[in-house]
Amino acid sequence: MSKIWFVRLETKVLYSLKVFPMDRPNLIARITQSRVWRSFFRHGWPDNPLDRSLTMTSNIFFHLHPVKVSRKSLKWSYSFGLGIIAAILFGALVFTGLLLMFYYVPSVERAYPTMKTIQLSVPLGQFTRNMHRWAAHAMVLIVILHMVRVFYTGAYKPPREFNWGVGVILLLLTLGSSFTGYLLPWDQLSYWAITVGTNIAGYAPVVGDTMRQMLLGSTEVGQSTLIRFYTLHVALLPLLVVLLVSLHIWRVRKDGGLAANDGPDAEYQL
Amino acid sequence: MSDQNPTTNEIFPKGTSKSFALVELMRGQSPMVGKGPEDTVFSFPVVLLWEITLLLGVTLALFWFSLFKQAPLEQIANPMVTSDPAKAPWYFVGLQELLEHMHPTLAGIFLPGVLVVFLLALPYIDHSRENIGIWFSTARGKRMVGWTALYTLVVMPIYIALDNAFPLREILRDSTAPWVAQWLLPAVILIVLVSIPAIVATVRKASLREILMVLFTVMLVSAMVFTASGFLFRGPGFKLYWPWQMPDGYSPWMEL
Repeated sequence: MSKIWFVRLETKVLYSLKVFPMDRPNLIARITQSRVWRSFFRHGWPDNPLDRSLTMTSNIFFHLHPVKVSRKSLKWSYSFGLGIIAAILFGALVFTGLLLMFYYVPSVERAYPTMKTIQLSVPLGQFTRNMHRWAAHAMVLIVILHMVRVFYTGAYKPPREFNWGVGVILLLLTLGSSFTGYLLPWDQLSYWAITVGTNIAGYAPVVGDTMRQMLLGSTEVGQSTLIRFYTLHVALLPLLVVLLVSLHIWRVRKDGGLAANDGPDAEYQL
Repeated sequence: MSDQNPTTNEIFPKGTSKSFALVELMRGQSPMVGKGPEDTVFSFPVVLLWEITLLLGVTLALFWFSLFKQAPLEQIANPMVTSDPAKAPWYFVGLQELLEHMHPTLAGIFLPGVLVVFLLALPYIDHSRENIGIWFSTARGKRMVGWTALYTLVVMPIYIALDNAFPLREILRDSTAPWVAQWLLPAVILIVLVSIPAIVATVRKASLREILMVLFTVMLVSAMVFTASGFLFRGPGFKLYWPWQMPDGYSPWMEL
């Protein structure tokens, strides 16, 4: 019902604004025909099928979406928007994480004092840290729920097998990002949680000790662990997440959009 | 557009430079093979409006929550003083709970490894394209998931409580080799517990998809039970307590 409402609202707004550049040469027509607009966009005002299609295909951010989507896949109770929510939370984490990076120093001596500084004297520092932490927990939860949704709707089936695999890797990367960030405050909570967590890696047969030492950079959690976790947390893991999320979303489109589209007789070609 | 306007005005608006072919609107299937355009909308702007709504909603929720709940910061890390209980982050605390019941290699490496392989292999095991895009596929599938969830919700806490009251590791310490008490027996118990609903489903002629839904549900609900047990019910010394009877004013919620 709500998406119909959206369509109506949008149509109404466009009608009331008299956004018909071809009908009458108004402001919008002048804008879309200006040299500046035409240097930015390779399409006109998106009030007709052609320009709406071009809006999606000619924009680097929009082109991950298909030009048209089925009404079924917009149904809220089908997907609950969990994938989009996860992506939004990741964006919030990148933004707040960047702000925290301006102050945080990944050294055993200075990590904890800089946390105190962030919380006590940086404007909105405590608030930014709160946002980063709660968004991180929420992202882990939402990514798990997203996987559960995809499983129970059978959306992992052909032709989406590969994208399901990408999703599983993304779940592991999300856990890794959260876990590596957990150590950074360098308080008792983070220190012992990481000690417990990395001890589990040490139980792997044959390679356990090597794996644990590679992770810690030492035999126990210390400076070398902090800098390793920091580098993983702010550089390697987010980079991998961005790459794989791009692949994941692009692949959703290439595999025919949300699985809600697929009727029993939907055809696909490999 | 007012309703008084005759329909022709809507289809052929006056004073326009647009040209129209001589067409008639009618209901019916389009000749396009596969997905027809009947039930689709342009992504611009409908999908984008959805996304902006979600963006605003999530951001507001995050703002609101961050105003009221502070992120925890305890004393500076001290390797000399073990914090008690020392718990992994909540999403790994289920594994930590498992560690209490079996050999760490089985609980911390082998089982998670099996689960990840199970997840990755899922679409290659069940590749039929029946009932795609339908929650729980069929009404029967939904019932099966419900019963399996209930079964797991009952059986796994009982396993945790029993193994806690009569730990195999301690009871069999002198009578058998450690690998029996810490590897063989817990593995057999888990396999039996997981197999029961799958066998029941097979006997009832469940499809492959339904059997996988049963197994996935066991995995999911078990993970929830073990996480809840480790997070809510483990207090100082990682011993089991009722959440409302935690000693020393310990609260897991302070350590999120």
